[in-house]
Amino acid sequence: MTDQKLAVRVDDISKRFRLYKERNQTLKATVMRGRRSVHEDFWALRDVSFDVPEGSTFGLIGSNGSGKSTLLKCLAKIYYPEKGSITPYGKVAALLEVGSGFHPELSGRENIFLNGSILGMSRKEILSKYDEIVEFSGVSEFIDQPVKNYSSGMYVRLGFSIAIHVDPQILVVDEVLAVGDAEFQDKCRRKFSEFRDKGRTVILVSHSMEMVREMCDHAAWLNKGQLVASGEADPTIQAYLDSLGEAGEREGGHGGQAA
Amino acid sequence: MGYLKEVFASRELLANLTLREVRGQYKRTIFGQLWSLANPLAAMVVYTFVFSFIFRIQPDAGDPSGLNVFALWLLCGLLPWTFFSNVINSGMGSLLINAGLVQKVYFSRIVLPLSYVGSIGFNWLFEMAVLVIALSIAGAFVLPWIPLMLLTMVILAIFATGVALMLSVANVHFRDTQYFVSILLQIWMYLTPIVYPIKLVATQSDEIGGLFGSNITLLDVYQINPMERFVSVFRQMLYDNRWPDPNDYLTIVIWALVSLVVGVLVFRRSEKGLAELL
Ligand SMILES: Nc1ncnc2c1ncn2[C@@H]1O[C@H](COP(=O)(O)OP(=O)(O)OP(=O)(O)O)[C@@H](O)[C@H]1O
Ligand SMILES: [Mg+2]
Repeated sequence: MTDQKLAVRVDDISKRFRLYKERNQTLKATVMRGRRSVHEDFWALRDVSFDVPEGSTFGLIGSNGSGKSTLLKCLAKIYYPEKGSITPYGKVAALLEVGSGFHPELSGRENIFLNGSILGMSRKEILSKYDEIVEFSGVSEFIDQPVKNYSSGMYVRLGFSIAIHVDPQILVVDEVLAVGDAEFQDKCRRKFSEFRDKGRTVILVSHSMEMVREMCDHAAWLNKGQLVASGEADPTIQAYLDSLGEAGEREGGHGGQAA
Repeated sequence: MGYLKEVFASRELLANLTLREVRGQYKRTIFGQLWSLANPLAAMVVYTFVFSFIFRIQPDAGDPSGLNVFALWLLCGLLPWTFFSNVINSGMGSLLINAGLVQKVYFSRIVLPLSYVGSIGFNWLFEMAVLVIALSIAGAFVLPWIPLMLLTMVILAIFATGVALMLSVANVHFRDTQYFVSILLQIWMYLTPIVYPIKLVATQSDEIGGLFGSNITLLDVYQINPMERFVSVFRQMLYDNRWPDPNDYLTIVIWALVSLVVGVLVFRRSEKGLAELL
């Protein structure tokens, strides 16, 4: 296991957010408080370390607000951690929100070029993959319509289709697939396994344990910014589900006592 | 150097974002691109009525062009100014408006303010082309000055870019910036000889003499304003049809370079923290 190649090394990272009591983004507030700044530190991630093996499909699980999206954003270089480092070995494409940068008045076609270049593709690359992108998205009838006329599912389909054709070594997906219909989810699943067969790595966040269990071979469980467990998917998911079950039982128990 | 490489690598993205603005702007309007002329035309009519017809302001006739049309004289200064002020206003807000993008995708953030320079510059180019045609019809011989005019436009764009970069970052930290700056821009416009000729300031300045017993005059202080130089250079080329004063030209080049260098340094320093501040 140790000599397996890594896709991402998460090395002891901590990410802090400053929570300001007052509206700090006004000049008045700054002048009033002088050089002191009134804030509380909030550690959204604290000393998290784990490795993502190359060629794996890696699930990131945990309850709301546990820091999953924050971790992915650190990986995507949107946030920079206060401590530690997160090192991807290969090109990363992060799908944190589908269709960011779509211009509602522009057509699907124009948006493919816009979004593709936002995601780092060159015009030539987009041109060569254009047909595939449209084909995979399944919105070819509407490709010359402005995207504001798309349904939210079509929006996701097109956005996802562009992102997946960036062809990264490491694809990072933050619960964006939920909006697609069954057919599209199926398509994505197949695309993911195709990805894995090519030795690429997928990191995904999902609240659907079924999906994680079915797709992932490795997983990490975050709770309140701290890593609880990581490793093989099944035991990690089980441990997470057990903890949820326990919490549920405890609450149920209390209820019982009160009654 | 590494930074410049990164920005250069994002040129396609920059082009696409600029196109997004240009194409998206007048989508579903009947007159399309013609709308970009509406604002300067309306301003021209209002200012000409107020300052030429009512206040009877009379700028010197173009020398050697011999032009004597207030509206054209006005536009030679007004169009560069509106470009400048639009770039500042939009560039300043570019990070906030595109917050969704900044928080979800990694890319060189500087392309956001730059894309507004591009799209507003595109409109400006269109306006200037119309102005050149109008000047030619009025009898000025502007065609030989077009290359120099384009160069000066680039220099003004560089100056505006630097200012916009600084303000875009300031605006993320303090949202008051945009309101403050839009007031400042109004004052700034009237402190620049756009609707009145600078000779009126010179007359006042001569009457007052040296300020506070020194030999610094009001005019000297007035001329610190870089936009005064820009406007004057544009008028010398387009309205007067003569070579701009080399001193003036050197001054605007220096202003542009200083502004760009400071702007890029400021922007680069705060770029990484932007996503969580938005
Ligand atoms: N820009 C920010 N400023 C301040 N706090 C933030 C910021 N972004 C996230 N947080 C905080 O960090 C914590 C982790 O948030 P994060 O979005 O990573 O959770 P998550 O695990 O993705 O949750 P979910 O399952 O709901 O998507 C939350 O408590 C959130 O309030
Ligand atoms: Mg999340």
